[in-house]
Amino acid sequence: MEYTRKLTDKLSVEQAKIELLNTAYGNDQTFLAKLDPRTLFIWYLFFGLAPWFIHNDTVLIGLFAFMVLTTIMAKVSPLIIFILCLGLLGQGGYLLIAALFFGGGISTIMPLVMLTLKLSIISLASITVFCSMDPEKLSDGLLKIGVPGQVAFSISYGYRMLPSLLEEYHHIFLSFRLRGKAPEKHGFLYIRSIIYFIKIAMLSFYPLLLSTAKRSRTTVEALETKGSFYAFNNPKVKAIKLAHLIYGPRDYIFLALSLTYVISLFGLTRFY
Amino acid sequence: MNQIKERYVLTRSQKMMVFILSMSLYGLSNMITELVPSIYLGPIEFSIEYFAFIPLTLAMLFHPLYAAIGASLGEVIFGEIMLGQFGGFGELEKFIAFSLAIYIAGSMVRNPKNLRQVGFAAITGVIIHQFISMMVDIGKVWIGVEELEAVPGLAESIVVVEGFAFLNDILFSGILFALLPTLYLVPRLYGKIEPLLGMKPRDNTMRFTTKEIVTPRLVIGGVILALLAFLFEFLSETDFNVEWEADFVETFGAGFVWVSISVAAIIAILTVILMIMNKNKSKHTNGPTDKRNIG
Repeated sequence: MEYTRKLTDKLSVEQAKIELLNTAYGNDQTFLAKLDPRTLFIWYLFFGLAPWFIHNDTVLIGLFAFMVLTTIMAKVSPLIIFILCLGLLGQGGYLLIAALFFGGGISTIMPLVMLTLKLSIISLASITVFCSMDPEKLSDGLLKIGVPGQVAFSISYGYRMLPSLLEEYHHIFLSFRLRGKAPEKHGFLYIRSIIYFIKIAMLSFYPLLLSTAKRSRTTVEALETKGSFYAFNNPKVKAIKLAHLIYGPRDYIFLALSLTYVISLFGLTRFY
Repeated sequence: MNQIKERYVLTRSQKMMVFILSMSLYGLSNMITELVPSIYLGPIEFSIEYFAFIPLTLAMLFHPLYAAIGASLGEVIFGEIMLGQFGGFGELEKFIAFSLAIYIAGSMVRNPKNLRQVGFAAITGVIIHQFISMMVDIGKVWIGVEELEAVPGLAESIVVVEGFAFLNDILFSGILFALLPTLYLVPRLYGKIEPLLGMKPRDNTMRFTTKEIVTPRLVIGGVILALLAFLFEFLSETDFNVEWEADFVETFGAGFVWVSISVAAIIAILTVILMIMNKNKSKHTNGPTDKRNIG
């Protein structure tokens, strides 16, 4: 009982919002957060793609250990790890049940475990990279590698706005609950309550659509006032804006260490 | 022949507004659906797959293209990257399928007040999206995993799982989370939300110039991207093989790649030819269409 209460405390909307803000802005002091965004992109390009082509258990386990280490270094919020585990377990378990149902055996489990391992390496890599960058940094990095200004702006805007949107959504949801009438009986397997909550969850989007429309208009008007549409794709403006992105010794050390680790992993497989 | 219709043109800022609106709202809804756990009833999964009604509603009320792309980008960023579920290049397939489905659904609606039209478009959008993803999922297993026998029961299970998921998504998610909310929202928001973005409501005299948006370059780009996405998805699926053989490419890989590339090329060339012919024809018959800005 105690345990479930603790768990529900952790899963409240308030907590989720705090975790999101933390993800977006909280950890700019970690080693990874101080790296240049391009370094992180290059790093992700390798660790997000390479696992698909590696079919050696030892190397995969080694990579997984490395990813766990970087995730700890990036101080990723527990909520995100929790969601990740839920997703991975759900996907793997579902296929496993289906395969067992059709007469698979123990032999079915190993490839599924390997697949889950690969998926978790890739997911952890993306968590590490994207949690280490705050919205401005991500947007600057994307701009630098040639993503159109509008898209780069939208991404950083979305990152910034999402926690407050979530809060607003929660307020609307609560006011719907306050004014509405919850079903008196839960019904079979809580079916009535579930239907009630889902209905409110969707109805809450109606006011939110209107207020977000207003907000996005204000945003775009502010952009216009600043002349951002001209600036978005103007090379000179871009150069000034991105002048602070410089490779430091830290970036080279990080990339070199990662490379050494991967090479030594492959070297290790020769002995086994 | 047909009467001259006003084109639905948005200014750059209005496009941006629609894009931002769609992206942030659909991103938010994605985060919510990721947090809600799914219920398993035996092998059948009852889950809130996605709140498809948000991009559908926006695509029907505003310009379908920007609403669709915004929603897809929102999903990738907030549903995947931010929560660490980014599948790399495999996401391209999702991005294309979802944008296409929402765009088609949005441009099918001529009159947002007509409930039958709205409902039909909403369910068509869901069916297109789910059908594309089902075909890709089944296709990559059928074509990709040659030594399927190595893992007993996997072939059947994947087809059945995908088939189940398809029907479940359409009957459960499609009706509950796409059809009904869209029917509720579109007529209510029509005429109310557009002034907030400083534009006129869409009316049934406007038409979309699909021909201008769907240029040959876009089609070719789309086909190449889809092919790439398929290849990456396919790579991910081959891991079901217990024994990955180095002679994989020798046995069937090379042949398969060339076959698919040539099929894609033929499709692309045919579309280009058809479109050029179409363009010439319409030039001769219709004459120049009236181009006016609104808003």
